[in-house]
Amino acid sequence: MMFESSQFETTAGGGFVSSQSTDPSPASAKSRDNQPMYPVTVKQIIEATPSTDDKPNFLIDGVDVYNVKLIGMVFDKSERLTDVSFVIDDGTGRIGCHRWVNDPHDTNEVEGLRDGIYVRIHGHLRSFQGKKQLVVYAIRPVNDYNEIANHFLECIHAHCCSSKLQEQNRAPVSAPLSINAPNGSHAVSSSQISQEYNLDGLGSIDKMVLDYLQLPSSLAQEKGVHRNEIAQKLKIPQEKILEAMEALESEGLVYSTIDEFHYKSTAS
Amino acid sequence: MDTSNPAVFVNAELLRMHVGRRVRAVIQVLRSEGGNSVIGKSTDEQQLVIKGRPPGPLSTYVEVIGIADSNQSIQAEIWSNFGDVLDTVAYNNVCQLANGDFKHLFI
Repeated sequence: MMFESSQFETTAGGGFVSSQSTDPSPASAKSRDNQPMYPVTVKQIIEATPSTDDKPNFLIDGVDVYNVKLIGMVFDKSERLTDVSFVIDDGTGRIGCHRWVNDPHDTNEVEGLRDGIYVRIHGHLRSFQGKKQLVVYAIRPVNDYNEIANHFLECIHAHCCSSKLQEQNRAPVSAPLSINAPNGSHAVSSSQISQEYNLDGLGSIDKMVLDYLQLPSSLAQEKGVHRNEIAQKLKIPQEKILEAMEALESEGLVYSTIDEFHYKSTAS
Repeated sequence: MDTSNPAVFVNAELLRMHVGRRVRAVIQVLRSEGGNSVIGKSTDEQQLVIKGRPPGPLSTYVEVIGIADSNQSIQAEIWSNFGDVLDTVAYNNVCQLANGDFKHLFI
């Protein structure tokens, strides 16, 4: 694990934040590809303010947010030829969601959706005609209802970390250094919050797998990358790849696409 | 965006603060009373009366969303089966946090 020892800001720390995010401060060149995944409540989304830079992002707790994850109940599901729309109600509010259906995998995912069931959603937060919406790229029905309490605890945790970061930023700090490792994706915030929670959750194999999935060649593949390919290229045994995928999936960093063997990074 | 349906996370103790409002609570089903109500145990181990007809068979743990109509009862609108195994301590903690320090994230 690499921890730079300089102090500075901005990766909103916490275990749920993807380790590959570099420096999401508004000043740096922001590529969507490196945006971490935030667990949020609908109320937080409702109250999010537009971001200060030119990107159509939103600020939640002072952090630029694009990828979000939510858990809530489905309402008003409406299916059209190429997309499905529905409303998610998580008890703190309601938000409109949109899921494009392009291939059989997508169709399978939305077939199981019915009004009144709890689902976990991963998506991009967007504004459309003045209203906030989620463009959803992954939906799963909730099977273990402990996920619900867990999600809200994660939201609280994320909020705490972001708030602490905001306070730290306001306090005078001597020349915060922005660390960018040569390939960008290994830069890690060494703020105490991150050290305490974040990367200990992800092993080095997890990071290698994640890095592989974030190569341009991997991102370009719509169907994602087969597990075997990753095992071969990285020379890591299949079981380790499987474990890594589970860990990364639970962090919201990857998702399975056409079947349980193909994965894509959520950063694409 | 419609914000008219938020339901506050409550346990038995917090229920009294939200009488008349839309709430959500997880209960462990103890018994049903005459088909019109269910007696359940809240996540903080107290008895609650859930009024209304469940839409079908109930699992051990059920989340009810509805209007709190007294300190000890909820008029249920939505019943969700949460299965037979649940960490009620975690849920109870969410109730307390959602009504306490982190209320602004929820209501």
